[in-house]
Amino acid sequence: MTATTVPPKAPRTSMEPRTPDSGGRVRVRKSRLVLYTVLVVITGLMLGPFGWLILTGLKTTPELAASPVRWLPENFQWHNFADAFTAIDFLGYSRNSLIISLIYATLVTLSSAWVGFGFARLSAPGKKILFGVLLGSMMLPQMITLFPTYLIFAKVGMVDTYWPWVLWGLSAAPYLVFLFRQFFAGMPRELEEAAIIDGVGYAGIFWRIFLPQSWPVLSASFVIAFTWTWGDFIAPMLLLSSDKTTLSVAIMTSYVTDGGLPVNNLLAAGSVMYVVPILLIFLVAQRGFVAGMSTTGLK
Amino acid sequence: MTVDQIPEVAERPRAVAGTGAVRSGGGSRTSMTARRHRAFYMFTSPWIIGFLLLTIGPMAYALWLSFTTFDGISPNWRYVGLGNYQELLSDPVTWDALGRAGLFAITSVPLSIIAGMMLAVLVNRPLKARGLWRTLLYLPAVVPPVGAGLIFKQLFNRDSGATNGVLNFFGIDAIAWLDDPYARYVILMTVLWAAGNIMIISLAGLQDVPRELHEAARIDGASAWRTFRSVTVPLLSPVLLFQAVTGMIASVQTIMPMLLAANATPAGVTSIPQSNYMYMMHVFAQYFALGRYGYASALLWVLFVLILIATGLIFKFTSGVVFYNVDPEAKK
Repeated sequence: MTATTVPPKAPRTSMEPRTPDSGGRVRVRKSRLVLYTVLVVITGLMLGPFGWLILTGLKTTPELAASPVRWLPENFQWHNFADAFTAIDFLGYSRNSLIISLIYATLVTLSSAWVGFGFARLSAPGKKILFGVLLGSMMLPQMITLFPTYLIFAKVGMVDTYWPWVLWGLSAAPYLVFLFRQFFAGMPRELEEAAIIDGVGYAGIFWRIFLPQSWPVLSASFVIAFTWTWGDFIAPMLLLSSDKTTLSVAIMTSYVTDGGLPVNNLLAAGSVMYVVPILLIFLVAQRGFVAGMSTTGLK
Repeated sequence: MTVDQIPEVAERPRAVAGTGAVRSGGGSRTSMTARRHRAFYMFTSPWIIGFLLLTIGPMAYALWLSFTTFDGISPNWRYVGLGNYQELLSDPVTWDALGRAGLFAITSVPLSIIAGMMLAVLVNRPLKARGLWRTLLYLPAVVPPVGAGLIFKQLFNRDSGATNGVLNFFGIDAIAWLDDPYARYVILMTVLWAAGNIMIISLAGLQDVPRELHEAARIDGASAWRTFRSVTVPLLSPVLLFQAVTGMIASVQTIMPMLLAANATPAGVTSIPQSNYMYMMHVFAQYFALGRYGYASALLWVLFVLILIATGLIFKFTSGVVFYNVDPEAKK
């Protein structure tokens, strides 16, 4: 949209509440000051924990034990990060996490979009019941299935393989199906009308018309699924042995002294390296993510 | 039961298929309908098959296990009927754990929703670098649970945590945050830290609120609070209801922050602070510390039934309050 569509500044109409100009401006400036102060404080509180994690990762062990609490390390112990990287097989565990997360996030995003399209745009006898079941299965505690699923996977020899994540990915996640269903249901009907007239099948309509338009939901779904798998602790802990397991499990259990006490500075340094890739992925993906969300209202 | 409450948008395309068939002149109305029916099942089959194999199957297995003494090792396990259920109902530990989980759900869910909604309203205003503020406030929600657990453990560490540093600055003695009775507040704050999730979802809802409504309210002289209460909240209510329901379910199942905060290995779950020993922790302990698959499965089934009842009640009592935009496509 170009500037020409913006209506020229109209003279004040009697409809607008009249306030003396100068007083109004002062009030606006004051409220803006309050607004930005609130924003800065809240943002500081939300980001503070990250800062503390990094600071903890830069201290020595005696500094962490000191009382009262030391805010800043005397010397930044950058080597803690290198130590955290070599104290456990950081790269190996990262690779495991990455493989599992990519497998699951890719498969589940596509399968959930596919199923979501069915629920949003098609109908058949039994649909209402199936949709009820879909919603109901969202209410299902995941553990109720995870624990007995573990027993079943053990019986068929899928423990210590990545097959469970392939199967979970292929079978779509109810929450993401619902997300896609809501998004597709809100898209204009004319989109598929034209395609149906042209004789395009539903798979084609989904693939060529709906999917390219759903970048915001696709990226949201991918990010949700990826971070969910990356951050999952219980499934890999149950299903994978110590050399096949993910970074989440390794990081929780490996930075300990011989006596089993956590080594907090290495743990913190390792945590930074564990969290940062996720934040980077989000920052790369969110361009489309947030921008898409704010423009969908304009389309 | 819950289906009636969801706007039935998807019924509409039936008319589309009809007109399409008439316009294109090819194929009868019935064959078009049959095609649509087949297509529906083609699209939903991945979920249906997966649901049968990976949800119904294991659930039925758990139900069956819940009537046995199966522990995975002992070959002498047997059928005990409702024995496990009788045992769990008469065990005060069950009720205590359930009470803590319920209290946690009814505090953490509303607090998260309120916090997330306020953040959304805040960053929905015309701000400089609005995208940047949104990103920064959402960032914590992206952090995986293990990361959040690790971060809050450092923040609330008794000796080296920033929280005790601040308290000390005001002359207050160090508090053992990760022990009883404070451990639950750390969990609560870990959960609230991710309020950005609800912010993003509410934000999407807020942007769907027609601008004219806000303008009309402003011209009528409504205050900001009044506009928020009478325009924004009702229009966000379907989104919020969805968040309340899914949030409550997620929150009753919360287990990871408690496990992580206590630095517990599966075998050592008994070392978890009492105030964090919520229902799912109990189930987890029965499964992995004690290997009582049968009894733990009974606990899971009880929780599942309770969640279904609670969800049904939420939908029932909010059906009058929740507002659905009758024609979501009209504004396009």
